[in-house]
Amino acid sequence: MTYSFENTKILIVEDNKPMLLLIKSVLQSFGVTNIVSALDGEEGFHKFCSTNPDLVITDWMMKPCDGVELSRKIRNERKSPNQYVPIVLMTGFTEKKRVINARDVGITEFLAKPFNARDLYKRLHRIIEQPRQFVRCEGFFGPDRRRKSPETYEGVKRRRSDMADQQSSDVKITDIDFR
Amino acid sequence: MDNKHYNQKPRRNAELITVPNILKAKVGSGGLSDKILDRAQDLLESHSEDFTPLAEIYLSRMKEAINAAKSSEIDSNNLEDLITDILVPCVQLKANGAMFNYPLVTRIAGKFAQFMEVVDTLDNQTLDIASAFHATIKIVVAGKIKGDGAAQGNALVHELNNVCMRYFEKNNIK
Repeated sequence: MTYSFENTKILIVEDNKPMLLLIKSVLQSFGVTNIVSALDGEEGFHKFCSTNPDLVITDWMMKPCDGVELSRKIRNERKSPNQYVPIVLMTGFTEKKRVINARDVGITEFLAKPFNARDLYKRLHRIIEQPRQFVRCEGFFGPDRRRKSPETYEGVKRRRSDMADQQSSDVKITDIDFR
Repeated sequence: MDNKHYNQKPRRNAELITVPNILKAKVGSGGLSDKILDRAQDLLESHSEDFTPLAEIYLSRMKEAINAAKSSEIDSNNLEDLITDILVPCVQLKANGAMFNYPLVTRIAGKFAQFMEVVDTLDNQTLDIASAFHATIKIVVAGKIKGDGAAQGNALVHELNNVCMRYFEKNNIK
């Protein structure tokens, strides 16, 4: 048994037409039949609102509206039909500072260009098999940015729930029966 | 609890939302077979789309950006924008070269992008190196050098890399 993409709809946003055709043909070879396309972020958001796809694959660098701005709109605008849709951002940028900026608008997966068919498949597979929870907090809405498991996470723990975890491990308040 | 510094970032009330996995429900399970993935890879490698018109657009934007930087009075207000104007077409060439069977363009543009991400000035020396990268990529595209360029390709990348390393050493950039 293999994945069947027959009932899925995927939106590709890419201003480079030859590249758009290339990605389309790879997805078609994966079995995706319903592909919607747009040539920039503005048209992409319009198509997103009118077709409500199951997945968005977008390039980063486009004018007048780029892939990061498109993602911001999908995640935050009122008329977005699905703020939780998985978004794959394709980019030639690999510098950490730039990737982190993009991650903070709510990208689900990054796909570094140039890529091969297996690279694209890996992102789809991860979205399907290991979906991440969404986080809504002051200043951020999007898939959980902590990709490592809590046991291996070494960064600053800023969530109130982290503090609760810490308290519970420190003093075990929840273990006390007040009745 | 009293061993914590007072200057702590405020804790954030993060709401965790588990979203229904619509995609999984639609596609089922089992993944995709190697046969399907190989066929998709063949498609990527065997397409006949011509890269040169696209590459020429990016090369021309790069040249314009280098020339603009050469003729500008550069200060802290415009430095970042001028660097970005050179960097963006460079990243486009890096991203697209190998997708259109020009991996040597990706390799050279990749080195150039790394260089532009590190520099913090656009003096004559920096712009001369940028021009050298531009000229090299232009030669590869004009010569329709597909593939990795074999030994000559390696020699080109090696020489450009040496130029960058000498620049970093001279300018004390680590």
